Amino acid sequence: MGNLRVGVDIGGTFTDLVAYDEEAGSLIHLKTLTTPKEPSRGFMNVLEGLGKPLSDVKVIVHATTLGTNMFLGQAGLTPPKTILITNEGFRDIVEIGRQNRPELYNVFFEKPKPLVPRHMRVTVKGRINAEGEVLEPLDEDAVRSLARKYCGEVEVFAVSMLHSYRNPRHERRVKSIILEECPGAIVVASHEVDPQPKEYERTSTTLVNALLRPMLSRYLHGLLEELSSRGYKGRLLVMRSSGGVADSSRAIEMPAAFIESGPAAGAVAVAYMSSLMDVSKALGFDMGGTTAKASAIINGQPEVVSEYEVGGKVHMGRMLRGSGYPVRFPYIDLAEVSAGGGTIAWVDEGGALRVGPMSAGADPGPACYGRGGEEPTITDANLLLGRLPKILAGGRIKLRPELAEKAVRRLAEKIGMDVVEASAGIIRIANTVMARALRLVSLERGHDPRDFSLFAFGGAGPLHAAALAEELGVREIIVPPLPGVFSALGLLVTDYRHDYHASVVRMADELSEEELEKIFSSLEDKAYKVLRSEGVSEENIRLIRMLDMRYWGQAYELSVPYRGSLEEAVEGFHRIHEARYGYSMPEERVEVVVARLEALGIVRKPELPESRVKEYRPEADGRRKVFFEEHGWLDTPIYSRGKLKPGAMINGPAVVESDESTVLVPPGSIAIVDSRYSIRMKRGWM
Amino acid sequence: MNGENRITLEVIRHAAIFASEEMGVVLRNTAYSPNIKDRLDHSCAILSPGGELVAQAEHIPVHLGSMAVGVENTFRYLEREGETLEQGDIVLVNDPYIAGTHLNDLMLLKPVYVGGEMVAVVANKAHHVDVGGIVPGSIGGDARELLQEGVIIPPVKLVRRGVFQRDIASMIEANVRTPHYFKGDLRAQMAALNIGEKRIRELAEKYGASTLLEAWSYILDYTEKYTRSKVEKEGVEGSFKAVDYMELPGGELIPIEAEVRIRKGGIEVDFSGTSSQVEAPINAVYGVTVAATTFALKSIIDPEMPMNHGFFRVVSIKAPLGSLLNPRPPAPVSGGNVETSQRIVDVVFKALSQAFPDRVPAASCGSMNNIMVGGLRDEGGLWAFYETIGCGSGARPSMDGVDGVHTNMTNTLNTPIEVLEKEYPVLFVAYKLREGSGGPGTYRGGLGITRAFKILADRAVLTLMSERVKTRPWGLRGGLDAEPGDHYVVRSSGEVEHLPSKTTIILRRGDIVYINTPGGGGYGDPCRRPRSLIENDLRDNKITLGQAKGQYCYEV
Repeated sequence: MGNLRVGVDIGGTFTDLVAYDEEAGSLIHLKTLTTPKEPSRGFMNVLEGLGKPLSDVKVIVHATTLGTNMFLGQAGLTPPKTILITNEGFRDIVEIGRQNRPELYNVFFEKPKPLVPRHMRVTVKGRINAEGEVLEPLDEDAVRSLARKYCGEVEVFAVSMLHSYRNPRHERRVKSIILEECPGAIVVASHEVDPQPKEYERTSTTLVNALLRPMLSRYLHGLLEELSSRGYKGRLLVMRSSGGVADSSRAIEMPAAFIESGPAAGAVAVAYMSSLMDVSKALGFDMGGTTAKASAIINGQPEVVSEYEVGGKVHMGRMLRGSGYPVRFPYIDLAEVSAGGGTIAWVDEGGALRVGPMSAGADPGPACYGRGGEEPTITDANLLLGRLPKILAGGRIKLRPELAEKAVRRLAEKIGMDVVEASAGIIRIANTVMARALRLVSLERGHDPRDFSLFAFGGAGPLHAAALAEELGVREIIVPPLPGVFSALGLLVTDYRHDYHASVVRMADELSEEELEKIFSSLEDKAYKVLRSEGVSEENIRLIRMLDMRYWGQAYELSVPYRGSLEEAVEGFHRIHEARYGYSMPEERVEVVVARLEALGIVRKPELPESRVKEYRPEADGRRKVFFEEHGWLDTPIYSRGKLKPGAMINGPAVVESDESTVLVPPGSIAIVDSRYSIRMKRGWM
Repeated sequence: MNGENRITLEVIRHAAIFASEEMGVVLRNTAYSPNIKDRLDHSCAILSPGGELVAQAEHIPVHLGSMAVGVENTFRYLEREGETLEQGDIVLVNDPYIAGTHLNDLMLLKPVYVGGEMVAVVANKAHHVDVGGIVPGSIGGDARELLQEGVIIPPVKLVRRGVFQRDIASMIEANVRTPHYFKGDLRAQMAALNIGEKRIRELAEKYGASTLLEAWSYILDYTEKYTRSKVEKEGVEGSFKAVDYMELPGGELIPIEAEVRIRKGGIEVDFSGTSSQVEAPINAVYGVTVAATTFALKSIIDPEMPMNHGFFRVVSIKAPLGSLLNPRPPAPVSGGNVETSQRIVDVVFKALSQAFPDRVPAASCGSMNNIMVGGLRDEGGLWAFYETIGCGSGARPSMDGVDGVHTNMTNTLNTPIEVLEKEYPVLFVAYKLREGSGGPGTYRGGLGITRAFKILADRAVLTLMSERVKTRPWGLRGGLDAEPGDHYVVRSSGEVEHLPSKTTIILRRGDIVYINTPGGGGYGDPCRRPRSLIENDLRDNKITLGQAKGQYCYEV
């Protein structure tokens, strides 16, 4: 097997690749256009660009936004026809949801459309109670006739029955009857996906998983086949929504746990880089071709939540509870808005200039790409303001200002502006939208943005960072090395991760350490097996045992490390409860709800080049006129990033160009290249 | 105001909202009763030292709107009693005539001191499943006076300068049916206050106490100015009247009448003409009237801006003392909070529909459909559970109503069936949309819900506190009324017993209770509903073929 570890991140517009040669310690990076109708083609294109035989590649780590795109209703990604089988009397659990409305004061509120329409939700007799006892036998004949009726009619059978987390007997039976009657059918049962109480959340998680299965499995199987036909013998890993990677077979089985894999990769990269740099409060700002994502990373840790809503709406900076489809898999909490280089500017009926949410994406792309796009985009506006070079992506994309001008002019005329005013207007509006996303993960969560450093990356991030930093008042801007493929780099700094849990639900004082040992060792057996099958060697496996505990009567648990002593764990629980909630009740009984195992396979992280800082003022490589808000057109020096060494100091106005990303340094700011080749930018330093 | 200062004030504004949300999370995570931990029947807010609401988490409207009234009344009460609020104090109150809702809602508040100066008050309300009284769950039944609805707690210091007053808590514990829940939920409420206090203090340390006080007045002034100009820009002036009715336990209807006067920069709502207070538990204390009226106004005039006291400043509300909407003690009030509040919204909406025809929906179901069940477990010990059931929302101009959802003054979640069946001796037999219950219209009203459960104990007491069983949620502009509520018990003998909107009955093992909640009213002539939408509804069994032919002019 080879020495290369390869990360491939497919975004809305670009497909990025970063490869790390473990032997040589060198990094290679590439960028091609995404092929939205058939993303695997872009995947293969970028691999070919690597110029190495696939036998040199040891492992490929992948991030995709295919899943989210389906739930956001992207054209061409229609959910498969699905039927839900559930208990008699309970057909509408997924439609009623938790009976709340997502917005309090809006009488025009909407609830999300049910994932499966009412006439495709069918019921059968058969009831199990909370203790797992069968109160009424399953009507197997009814199941059998449903299986026959819908075999071939639907792509997926989803099964969710009451109390299946406690006793899955009926669900298992339904599944096996369907498979008998309809061999090869995709059947997704709730106890396999999310074996926890609360019927709505379990059913929703099950349905999200079921709806993604056919598409993700076609896509990943297709990739695997294509890769192996090209001589690849390694493994294909996929990024989870929670950070951490797992084998593609897991993603095929549990796509709902991987749905936000693309955005997670960027947050993971910021987490890695900010800890390397000792930056305790970091805001990640990732602006690509289609969307911009914001994340907050504190002390090197992205915030991971245990449940989120796919396709949910945000209002006044908050995810509206009940506006999307709950998924009970951990997820890195981030904010995403429709603002990328390809986002289209337009004029609404009232004559106001608007930006997004439509995007020209990769096809046709911005007008200046000359691939048939006629709508003005953010990239066109940046080009017309002199902020972009005429060549992008290392020469593979040539920009044509005359086409950009034509597109923007048409828009400018509608609102009685000239081309430059309109371009500046487009940028200003886009910045407002993106500032919202950044506010959402900082200010609106009670963090003062002035304590944060802004990591700007993605093809367009470093171009807009200065204006956003100004608006939010962040301390400094950090443009990491390889900003254009930084998310893909995140794929290579991520460890393997699997989470296992077993339901315990016993009072701590009635439980023995021997019992726990048995539970944990069976979880550990599973973890070892999976990690070894993924090629992780023994010495790189880390297992962390946790107990989720609560006071008897509570519904929410706290995780406490378990080192073999229950007494110590209970004491730890009181302590953590005190720290979290300001009180503890040592006299109350403590319940152990879940035994949890975090299994990590540590990977070798790429080493980023580092050298000593020697302050100097670099020579400009050229000059051109660049438009700056408040200053107008300024004769601006242009620097090539590849030539800058640690210690280079540049006063704004300046533009620093590299293959895949352009850094705009406004007047009054200074940029310094640090020891790891990041550009750190502040206002009014000197 | 310079830019830097403006950023600071914005940071504080958002941080205060975030702190109130964090308080809500702590309350939920540490509570014991399913009503709080699963249904989230609680609310948290941050107020200025003067008791003006500056930030709230978007929880339960009826709690939130009454919180400021409750805090202000509590301040006044303490002053009269010669008590001062000191650092480390936590005040507990549930007297509805002070706290502003009903006895089940325990309000806790805590002053936040920084350097000897009070900079804020943190407060929360949580609905305790049982606070004593004649029926399990405390609400309703045949209560004729407040004392029958549970233990009355005037403002008392539950924590005095940081010292928990064990005896006060014990005294209450002895008067409720589920003391374990009570204890856990009360601890949770205190924990939430402490987190809120901590966050406010952190803000004060970072930005200075005086900046914090400046931020509060900035927030309120800004909202006030914004709302006034919003009302002015509407360009609507005039006086708009409406009337609607409540059902007394005996079935008699009594009126709620509102006149909404909109003038440049201000709105007055006058409830003269409303019925006098009654000897039944549907009187709404003034706090509830304020909460429901401001909710209705805000929903139509400005749903966007975060709610705070600045909005209240633009609105004046008159409800005659001794009336259904501003009763004198000891009138019972447990249902005023949950049912009368819904009717207040209906009446104000109806009046506003004349002023803003394209913005007001037809009537939503107009009830929270409260049920309380309790009794003795087979294995010993009392149990009591409380829940409210969603229904149909009124059809909107240009949109159908929403099926199976909580409307207007509440937004609690349902209790998951898997949680209920684990905690209580009940077994559910149905939880589904109620077919055909939405009011027909060009835009169809939302469907109500059918929820049905079997009793697995020898004996239990059921109390129903609902509305719209005699009257129907009204349609608008040619839209038809929705189906009213229809509740009954199927006895284990097979006998069916229909229930009025408000009642208390005894259940035996094997009895099944069916609650069918009302739909929402329709909007516009049903014969103008597009054929494809009628066919979708038929395919999904949301309307009946009879309705399609009879009311929607549908020809097969």
